[in-house]
Amino acid sequence: MMMRGGRSLVSSPPAFSNDAKKLLVCTSNTVSVFSTATGLQITSLEGHTALVTSVVVVPPSSPAAKVLCYCWTASLDGTIRYWDFSVPELMKTIDIRVPIFNMVIPSFLDIPAVDKGKHQDLFAYVFTEDTKETQEKTKALRRQIRKCNLSKSRLVGRLILGETKKPEVLTVSPSGKFFGIRNKCKLHIWKVPDQGSEHAAVRKITLHHTKKITVIAFHPTQRVIAAGDVTGRILTWRGFGNIAFAENQKLINIQEDKPGVRDNDDADSCSTWHWHSAEVNVLSFSSDGAYLYSGGKEGVLVVWQLDTGKKKFLPRIGSPLLYFIDSPDPTLSAISCADNQIHLLKMPSMGILKTISGIKTPCCYPEMCKGLGNGIAFDQTAGLVALRTENYCIQFYSLFDDRGISEVHVCERNHQPGDDVTVIVTAVALSVDGSLMSTSEVKLAEEGIGGLVCLKFWQAGSQNKEFSLSTIVYDPHRDAGISAVTFHPSGNMVVSSSFGGDFKIWRCNNDIIQNDQMHQNFSWTCHAVGSYKKRPMTAAAFSADGSVLAVAAETLITLWNPYKNVLLAVLGETLTPIVNLSFLGKSDNLAAASCGSNPQLSVWSMSKLSLSWSYKLCIEAVASAVDSSSFAALALLPESSNETTFKGRDGVILLYNATNPVPTAIWSVKKAKGGALGFLQVNPSSVEEVDGKTPEVLLAYMSGDHEYVVFDPYCKDAHEVSISQKEGLSSLELKGQGGQYGYASIYGELPEFDKKSPETPWVPSFPSERPWETIFSGSSHNLPPLTKLCSAFLESLLEKRTAAVE
Amino acid sequence: MAEIRAEEQTLAISKTFLIKPKLKPKARTLPQTPESKYWSSFKSTQIPNLISSISSLSFSPSPPHPFAAAYSASVSLFSPLSLSDGDVSPSSTISSFSDVVSSISFRSDGLLLAASDLSGLVQVFDVKSRTPLRRLRSHTRPVRFVKYPVLDKLHLLSGGDDAVVKFWDVAGESVVLDLMGHKDYVRCGDCSPVSPDLFVTGSYDHTVKVWDVRVEDSRSVLEVNHGKPVEDVIYLPSGGLIATAGGNSVKIWDLIGGGRMVHSMESHNKTVTSICVGRIRKENCGDESMEDRILSVGLDGYMKVFDYGNMKVTHSMRFPAPLMSVGFSPDCRTRVIGTSNGIIFAGRRKGKENVESGGGGNVLGFESISEPERRGLRPTYFRYFHRGQSEKPVEGDYLVMRNKKVKLAEHDKLLKKFRHKDALVSVLNKKNRENVVAVMEELVTRKKLLKCVSNLDADELGLLLTFLSKNATMPRYSSLLMGLTEKVIEMRAEDIRSSDPLKGHIRNLKRSIEEELRIQHSLQEIQGIISPLLRIAGRR
Repeated sequence: MMMRGGRSLVSSPPAFSNDAKKLLVCTSNTVSVFSTATGLQITSLEGHTALVTSVVVVPPSSPAAKVLCYCWTASLDGTIRYWDFSVPELMKTIDIRVPIFNMVIPSFLDIPAVDKGKHQDLFAYVFTEDTKETQEKTKALRRQIRKCNLSKSRLVGRLILGETKKPEVLTVSPSGKFFGIRNKCKLHIWKVPDQGSEHAAVRKITLHHTKKITVIAFHPTQRVIAAGDVTGRILTWRGFGNIAFAENQKLINIQEDKPGVRDNDDADSCSTWHWHSAEVNVLSFSSDGAYLYSGGKEGVLVVWQLDTGKKKFLPRIGSPLLYFIDSPDPTLSAISCADNQIHLLKMPSMGILKTISGIKTPCCYPEMCKGLGNGIAFDQTAGLVALRTENYCIQFYSLFDDRGISEVHVCERNHQPGDDVTVIVTAVALSVDGSLMSTSEVKLAEEGIGGLVCLKFWQAGSQNKEFSLSTIVYDPHRDAGISAVTFHPSGNMVVSSSFGGDFKIWRCNNDIIQNDQMHQNFSWTCHAVGSYKKRPMTAAAFSADGSVLAVAAETLITLWNPYKNVLLAVLGETLTPIVNLSFLGKSDNLAAASCGSNPQLSVWSMSKLSLSWSYKLCIEAVASAVDSSSFAALALLPESSNETTFKGRDGVILLYNATNPVPTAIWSVKKAKGGALGFLQVNPSSVEEVDGKTPEVLLAYMSGDHEYVVFDPYCKDAHEVSISQKEGLSSLELKGQGGQYGYASIYGELPEFDKKSPETPWVPSFPSERPWETIFSGSSHNLPPLTKLCSAFLESLLEKRTAAVE
Repeated sequence: MAEIRAEEQTLAISKTFLIKPKLKPKARTLPQTPESKYWSSFKSTQIPNLISSISSLSFSPSPPHPFAAAYSASVSLFSPLSLSDGDVSPSSTISSFSDVVSSISFRSDGLLLAASDLSGLVQVFDVKSRTPLRRLRSHTRPVRFVKYPVLDKLHLLSGGDDAVVKFWDVAGESVVLDLMGHKDYVRCGDCSPVSPDLFVTGSYDHTVKVWDVRVEDSRSVLEVNHGKPVEDVIYLPSGGLIATAGGNSVKIWDLIGGGRMVHSMESHNKTVTSICVGRIRKENCGDESMEDRILSVGLDGYMKVFDYGNMKVTHSMRFPAPLMSVGFSPDCRTRVIGTSNGIIFAGRRKGKENVESGGGGNVLGFESISEPERRGLRPTYFRYFHRGQSEKPVEGDYLVMRNKKVKLAEHDKLLKKFRHKDALVSVLNKKNRENVVAVMEELVTRKKLLKCVSNLDADELGLLLTFLSKNATMPRYSSLLMGLTEKVIEMRAEDIRSSDPLKGHIRNLKRSIEEELRIQHSLQEIQGIISPLLRIAGRR
């Protein structure tokens, strides 16, 4: 079994179904269908093999047809597909063999119901990349606008409407008469030919502006087009194309003054509004054409009354706005935000009804704060991941359900996109049972004054991960930053280590106050302080039974008794400071990862107090299973390793048994930088069975941009993949770390690491999507009839074979 | 019929966060019990400037329970109602005494007040007119206590340094009984709350004697030995127990059990001077019940609350002077404590007015004044259109909550408008240093603090420098303020040089810094002394 999730909900604009009860969201290779009433996912359309770039819902031709749920999707894999998304079922596939960046279908917007019988051809305008003509053309102008006959499933001849350097967004007018794109400071508008003939001449006008235009929108009824530019201005041209698109070709060339219109452009007037301080990303007319919605980087949705220019605001959304979609239901609309959230708005009042919460995007911090950990903690029992977000929150995301559960506001601040980052959540730790959380935050100083480090302890409410603050500690290690926070397995002890050279053990005193209901009140007090030769403490970990605390003092590992605060032993020395410590389950081994110029993954035996084995690997994350001795490490591949051998995959997950330096399984992954690993305990109800047995434990990998995959590391087919690669690993790595511990004498016979070794028989081994596994998944009432399923199932198997042959 | 407009639940993404000072660390003591919360809920007011020590305090049994305080050669009456308004002047004063007043006692209806003085005279006053109605002279030595029986309006009990306890007929100004038996000064006594005939007296001969006026030949019916000179004795409300105070201890005796000592409370460090019965309202499992406590005050300046049901000290309060007397009003709302230096600490508790004392009883008797019948509302009345607006919700009503309006302080409002300098100035004017530091911290997070400093004009700079000179050396804020002070002086050096008032501020600042340096030096010296000792201690 394998679960993917954490995909971006905001890669392309979503689309409402005709009854406004469903929202179709492009989520990488699939289109997810969400219910607007509950905000939960209903189903998904699976079939595309690359990023889905547009989804167009077929509008109803008559009021009775409102219940019909058909849509067209276009993807980078070069196909346009036609779906019935109520079932969901693929109806038709059109392969045009060029990646499609954007698709609009203007013509069915104006097909009157009477014409249906005549069977007009349906045309789509697509934005594609020309893959063939690379020789004669300059590379710059390879993105083309083409016309596609959807009824006949092919591109229309050699008709190229326009070419640009970059893929642009095609915008179609609600009436279906025009569509346009922006191109730097220009605006190209085409008039859709009335007749459904293939080669009807498409007329085009161009409007000019002095700034780079970012977004355009058409008025639903009038010849008005609005455009936003990078400086935040909104331009509104009225009566564009009066000359070029005139119905009767009679020239009415009267030189009247055209206020605001540049360069003798074909428009009556042009007016400018300026409220946004940064570029405008969202522009949309209301369905009656009386209002214009605009939004941009500052996260404020502005409603302009078109006639008067009066404004109304939905302020403080907290994230740059990307898309605004009106629904057929006038009381509902949706905005997509850059932090992977889609808010459903109740319309005239603009209150947020529901939020479709995707996983929040990783936050980017100033350079000085790098290396403070990735701020990701796994809740093993509940299958949740806690990750810090840009708006000073900790988001709890369910890995099994693929949706956001809750957010905990860690700092009492609101995030405003574009602000300087002055407060940073540096670490988050969860107790084993997930009921307690500890976070640390740093307030950056202004020219050396006013810096503050806070350590906060939280306790979960009765349900739903509603955390409440129990204790704040200001400047826990004087002014030094916190390097790591870790919970004791019992949950009533926390260690925080600092770069200032000490670590503190915090203990929880819980007084149970019995008023109306049982109410536990936790308070945390400092129990002990320890330091080792004033060295910066860089990492900390408790052993599985909680009897030993390991704290890394730069290159050394110090072992302490956490209850009595007694130094038990000091272990060896690594070359560079240790950034990650982890006890390996119940076994008496300790894994330490150090980074820097001489990265190293080393495993230390607690019984012998010596190094067992080590690799020269740049480790991003280490995770150990609670009750087995195996652990997984996410290693970054060296930059020098050839990109083609890994196909853009820059990291590997290595599964080790603690006693054995040879990994039991290997997977290569993408975007490993900033990634995280975590073992999850299996809750039998949440996981479907494979071969009649549930997997013991699951491994979750979260990539640098928070896409994740959950899989069974001991699964058979995962093994098959890895076994074939054992040799590959041995040639990659295994190098002892000098002779001072007698390590080389034991492992001396291992092959030397040769970075230039040309034969690295790495096969991209990340298990590919296997549709035959997912076809039958889901509840039975959602499944299509068996006859349909069977053919699809067999088909998928066939595809697999052919792929293997290739 | 209420019209309810149900708003669909909408979510807010961002909240309003007020600029709040950093949290202070809580003292690592036990959390407040409900009981200590109750006792500290008495809002304390000081009645200062009374001459000499407060020898006795007595509450009138009739509402609103005014209390009388005896000090020097006068007795003052205070109204608890004016106390809650903050008025601490006595409502009336009786000063027709020739010597120091030792003890006072209200009659059970609160109309008469008996007072004894050290000249050996016991006088009975009308509380309203303050005229002495009776003068009872028989004691040959100073009288130390006088007491009206609880259930008897005609008699009076007194005792004094002549070791005789006298039972008076007040109307006839005559002694009914001379009770001999004490071998030393009689200092205190109390009358039984359940019987008009029984009373106890305590004496410096360490004994407490129980007397019964019905007994022939005036002998005490029971005698207990406290072990120390007895300073105060009271009957507990059941009438079966008495509490005695003497030395550092308060002892509880079971009279019905033949004078057996039930418990001895020894938590005072100096002599316990006075005790009285206090009451606390307990709410367990929904129903209310009153529980009695013993309040004891001592020369160590502590007031202790003793739960004689559980034999535990449940609360203790410290006062800055030796305490001489204590009183607790029958309606449980006023607690007064007299000190030896002429200050009364009166504590008044907020609460309903209808808490009646057990023994008080309504004297006046016209409590149920029939309310005028309410006329029905008609559309001609203005109130008709306002009907139901202030209606309280009935149980079972569904409440549609209106979002609470967030109260913004002035600096919050200014910060919301990004008027950073104005916010800083406004909070500096408010003189709350915690808020000032909080606003400064917020400005640091916005990276605007130094910009603000550079924009301040001369007056505002003076304001800031005053604040800095006062607070820069406070350990809690010094990490921020020291750095800021340095920057301010650096940035505004020229303005400061050109202005004399600013120079004055700088001088103040310098002085406070020098003082702080001196403190730090001496602290370091102490550390130098201590650390080798600690080292040695750690080696053992």
